[in-house]
Amino acid sequence: MRTGDLIAVCIQNLLRHKARTFLTVLGVVVGCCSVVIMISIGIGMRRAQEKTLAQMGDLTVIQVHAAGKGARSAVLNKKAISRMKELEGTEAVTPRLVQENVPITVYGGRDKRYRASYATIVGIDLRVAEIMGYSLTEGKWQPGRKNCIYAGQNLAYMFEDTKRPEGNNMVDMYSGDLDENGSPVMPPPFFDIMKTPVTLELDSGKEDGKKVVQTMETVGKLKEDYAKGDETYMGMIMDIDTYQSLLEQQARLAGKKQEQQKGYQGALVKVKDIGSVAGVEKEIKKMGFRTSSMESIRKPMEQEARQKQLMLGGLGAISLFVAALGITNTMIMSISERTREIGVMKSLGCYVRDVRKIFLLEAACIGLIGGVVGVIVSYGISLLMNLAALQSSSAFSDVMMETESVPSALSVIPWWLALFAVLFSVAVGVGAGYYPAGKAVGIPALEAIKHD
Amino acid sequence: MEQKRPMIHVQDVRKVYRMGDEEVVALNRINLKIYKGEVCCIFGTSGSGKSTLLNQLAGMEKPTSGRVVIRGVNISAMSEEELAAFRQKYIGFIFQSYNLLPSMTAVENVAMPLMFCGMEKRRREEIAKVLLKRVGLSHRLYHYPGQMSGGQQQRAGIARAFVTRPQVVFADEPTGNLDSRTTEEIMKMIMGFARKYNETIILVTHDPGMVRFADRIVTLKDGNIVGDERKEGYCE
Repeated sequence: MRTGDLIAVCIQNLLRHKARTFLTVLGVVVGCCSVVIMISIGIGMRRAQEKTLAQMGDLTVIQVHAAGKGARSAVLNKKAISRMKELEGTEAVTPRLVQENVPITVYGGRDKRYRASYATIVGIDLRVAEIMGYSLTEGKWQPGRKNCIYAGQNLAYMFEDTKRPEGNNMVDMYSGDLDENGSPVMPPPFFDIMKTPVTLELDSGKEDGKKVVQTMETVGKLKEDYAKGDETYMGMIMDIDTYQSLLEQQARLAGKKQEQQKGYQGALVKVKDIGSVAGVEKEIKKMGFRTSSMESIRKPMEQEARQKQLMLGGLGAISLFVAALGITNTMIMSISERTREIGVMKSLGCYVRDVRKIFLLEAACIGLIGGVVGVIVSYGISLLMNLAALQSSSAFSDVMMETESVPSALSVIPWWLALFAVLFSVAVGVGAGYYPAGKAVGIPALEAIKHD
Repeated sequence: MEQKRPMIHVQDVRKVYRMGDEEVVALNRINLKIYKGEVCCIFGTSGSGKSTLLNQLAGMEKPTSGRVVIRGVNISAMSEEELAAFRQKYIGFIFQSYNLLPSMTAVENVAMPLMFCGMEKRRREEIAKVLLKRVGLSHRLYHYPGQMSGGQQQRAGIARAFVTRPQVVFADEPTGNLDSRTTEEIMKMIMGFARKYNETIILVTHDPGMVRFADRIVTLKDGNIVGDERKEGYCE
């Protein structure tokens, strides 16, 4: 038989008992809906989780810490850095240079009027700053440019005015009034850091008062990111080579051996994707360094989410299974009613395989219609759920004005879930129709001439 | 006549049913040759084995022993798929209870055997309409079986049996559910088709009144052939 004829026959049969077909399809719709909604809630949960994690820090950046100072511990030097670059799955590596033992004072404004004593200064490879997750609110990355810094978002508030009396010489960034929305307005700092060059002074620590002095231009303002560190907030970053040469000059003045021989204090390793984090981290640990990344938090969270998703999906699957029983039941009923017809068809030369196809197709049809309608209904339910969730959380989010992100959806149906649901429903239909179709095939042509 | 190859050749067919511990012999070594163009009436009372014989002839059941050869092919050894293909090509059926599918119109019912062959819808329905006109149902083409009288349904049944131009048409009590006037009409129609296309008809009946339509009467009793007579005047 032609495929078109098979489909026509099967639709004809389904339309014969409209109420029965409708109820069976309804069963599949309910089953399909429950699977889709349950899984979509699982996905929604996971998305929300990932968002939270992403806010906590870049998921694909591993922080490497130098091991202890012992003689036998691995040294985080240029060689180690280039070895990390060669690891499978690594996208970029930068050493992270911090100097805590050298007093560095930052001056800004005319005649060194403004002074900041505690700014965290970090040196990194600026070429990969953006990849590492540092982002700018103002200015542009200019890796090739000499003697420039990228100021932390609130670095300007770190400066004290040397011409004002103690206690009144700093701008308190939290002292501003609230705007009409109720969120605080930050008062302007003493000077615009983007327009004012700053001067770094590295004290030798000796009595002679010799200093290394270097004027730097601010070419970018960093977006604050607690996961990255103080430098994005109350500090600054600069090119690692510049920083190192400043430190070397200071060491010479101080007559000390440059500490950099011992290697960097830390490094950042950017990994291509989340899946490679664990592997790269393991390799770095093997090299003898301590590491930290979001992976250790993400893993158990993800595992838990997967478990929940599985459980929810399982609950949904139960109703789809019940729907499958419904299909089987309907098919068996319809076959026992049509015993004679099947006999007639066979005696008129209908192939056994066509009989099987007709019944499998009928079952698949029920699955398909149920699946498609189920997915459409699921989208509707999902929308309603998300709207309801939004409504109930809107009061809450008023308080949390600062989080600019939209609250994540309760239920998410990606296209692949919709497609999977439809295909799965069809498969359930075919599966449920398999036994009845076998029964139909077994009906002999003889049924046609039985006199009853 | 003996030189001609028989259309249907029944060789030593025996059919035994098992009813609990008892064995019932429905057919006891039947030998029968039926030739092309013959209208053969298999006559017998109920329980004589005539229905069983029909089942064997049409390949609906496998004989316990012996074989049925149609057009030189042993249908007793065929698989279900082979039988289906064979039925499509060579066999037509007319049933006592018409057996039109209630969900299909007259045209669709008549075109059904052609659909099983894989013929395209437009063409097969064209052919079906021609047949339906020939049986006088041109005004009932798109009626469903439920909307037609018994006689009309059986006429559609006849059209369906002949729509593939089969070599053999089995008619199982074709007028069993009809009144005598309609019976006459229906039988004449079947004979008309048979004569026109020189087709072999196997007519199974218990009604002595039907015998007059046939060229040859094979009488069955208790699973044995007890009579096999040809009408005089029939040219062999």
